Amino acid sequence: MELLQYDFVQRGLLAGVLIALSSSLVGVFLILRRLAFLGAGLSHFAFGGVALAVLLGVEPFLFSGILTLGVANLIELLRRKRRIGGDVSLAIVFSGGVALAVVLLSLSEGFREDVFSYLFGNVLIVSPYELYLSTGVFLITCAFLLLNFKSLLLMSFNEEMAKVRGIKVMVLNHLFVSLASLVIIVSIKAVGIILASSFAVIPAAAGIAVAKSLRGSLILSALISVLSTVSGILISLHFDLAPGGSIVMVMIAAFTLVVVFKRLI
Amino acid sequence: MREVVRVENLSFSYAGGVKVLDSVSFSIYEGEFLGIIGPNGAGKTTLIKLMLGLLEGFEGKIYLFGKELKKFKEWSRVGYVPQRVAIDRFHPVSVGELLTSVVGHERRLKDLVDFLHMEEMLSRRFTELSGGQQQLVLLGMALSSEPQLLILDEPTAGLDIHSQEHIMELLRELSQNTGKSVVMVSHNLGALFSNADRILAIDRTLRYEGSVQEAESILAHLFGLHRE
Ligand SMILES: Nc1ncnc2c1ncn2[C@@H]1O[C@H](COP(=O)(O)OP(=O)(O)OP(=O)(O)O)[C@@H](O)[C@H]1O
Ligand SMILES: [Mg+2]
Repeated sequence: MELLQYDFVQRGLLAGVLIALSSSLVGVFLILRRLAFLGAGLSHFAFGGVALAVLLGVEPFLFSGILTLGVANLIELLRRKRRIGGDVSLAIVFSGGVALAVVLLSLSEGFREDVFSYLFGNVLIVSPYELYLSTGVFLITCAFLLLNFKSLLLMSFNEEMAKVRGIKVMVLNHLFVSLASLVIIVSIKAVGIILASSFAVIPAAAGIAVAKSLRGSLILSALISVLSTVSGILISLHFDLAPGGSIVMVMIAAFTLVVVFKRLI
Repeated sequence: MREVVRVENLSFSYAGGVKVLDSVSFSIYEGEFLGIIGPNGAGKTTLIKLMLGLLEGFEGKIYLFGKELKKFKEWSRVGYVPQRVAIDRFHPVSVGELLTSVVGHERRLKDLVDFLHMEEMLSRRFTELSGGQQQLVLLGMALSSEPQLLILDEPTAGLDIHSQEHIMELLRELSQNTGKSVVMVSHNLGALFSNADRILAIDRTLRYEGSVQEAESILAHLFGLHRE
């Protein structure tokens, strides 16, 4: 455990915990709004964005982040206008992003490695700048959820009842998907594009399956997420494994345990 | 009697569809219990959603408490109980959370819980309740802002006879003792005819507006659909 003294380990743990908290809280509302697939859809879309950014020589996170924010709001717009359901748009965005990335990658071999590093991410090599980013997103998440808890609760239950109570449903929906895309973007850094959505889905699914209330689901989701992240990182250090994959496997184990345990009692 | 809602020449069609409502005009008055009937697909839910500002792009005029719908802002004066569908059966929200999310004061919460006898339910998930209990909670949520106008879309659908009577009694009490206007869409004609003050029959156009007694006697001519 002398590894804990290293700066990069401390930074990784801290970033991991912050990302775990943000995505597990946002994830509960994503699932309740039937947008569980948003994480997977947006992160794979971001893959195309990253490839494009690397090719153009601009900052990949900022560039793909802005693109992702835009497309998330477009999906919400289409859903609101009842043109296309959220799951369908996400499926299109998902494959579109990957297709773009694959095409760009075939253009030149030189930048493949840069792009591939985003596929799997690594929470143990976050820079101080990325740690600030995770902290910022965490604070925004907490502020947004605390300030709008009652409205979000009611909207997830029944949007029309929320509207009749004068809640600005449309504005809040757009703010929420924007927040969700920020959270997804920072979790790409920790676990990579392929696994980013697991942070938003697995702990939240366990919380929703087991708790007796929405508050309980949020707390349980956050708890499972943080514990899995910390133990996943420690396991990966100890056995020299990939951190992202280790975290997600611990999450799935925790999910299984919690759900099975609930059945037994 | 004061007008609470006025609808003038209201026509509406969903994007790219045929007219669902055609030149419908009527008023709703203070303290009355209005029953809205009509066959499936007649446009009852659509009419309610239009009155609540949930659908855009209609022709005609809608006034709530004397104000044109676009300018109406005092939504706490209106309570809405939607058709009890489309609530995720995995939603973890508890009854207590639902009520506190809409009730401002602790006192009001306690009054509501007492009034609807919901103490036992507070810590349970909404989705674990029976249909009748769920309907009580939805009613409680709609009543939380002490609205003067209460609009309910098929609140007794799928309930057993006791729960139906319980809900109807509550609504009747609300309209008689507190002066609220109650608007209720239902296929449960028996319950409506014995509780409502006035009946509106809709099938794309307004087919009938008037007393319960008369509605009962000419119903067969109107639809022939609702005979038991
Ligand atoms: N979102 C929608 N988009 C397109 N058409 C719709 C939509 N909702 C309802 N309709 C159509 O509008 C008509 C009126 O529907 P509405 O739900 O208002 O009927 P209703 O009187 O409430 O029926 P029910 O008794 O079955 O609840 C129907 O023909 C229906 O198919
Ligand atoms: Mg209806």
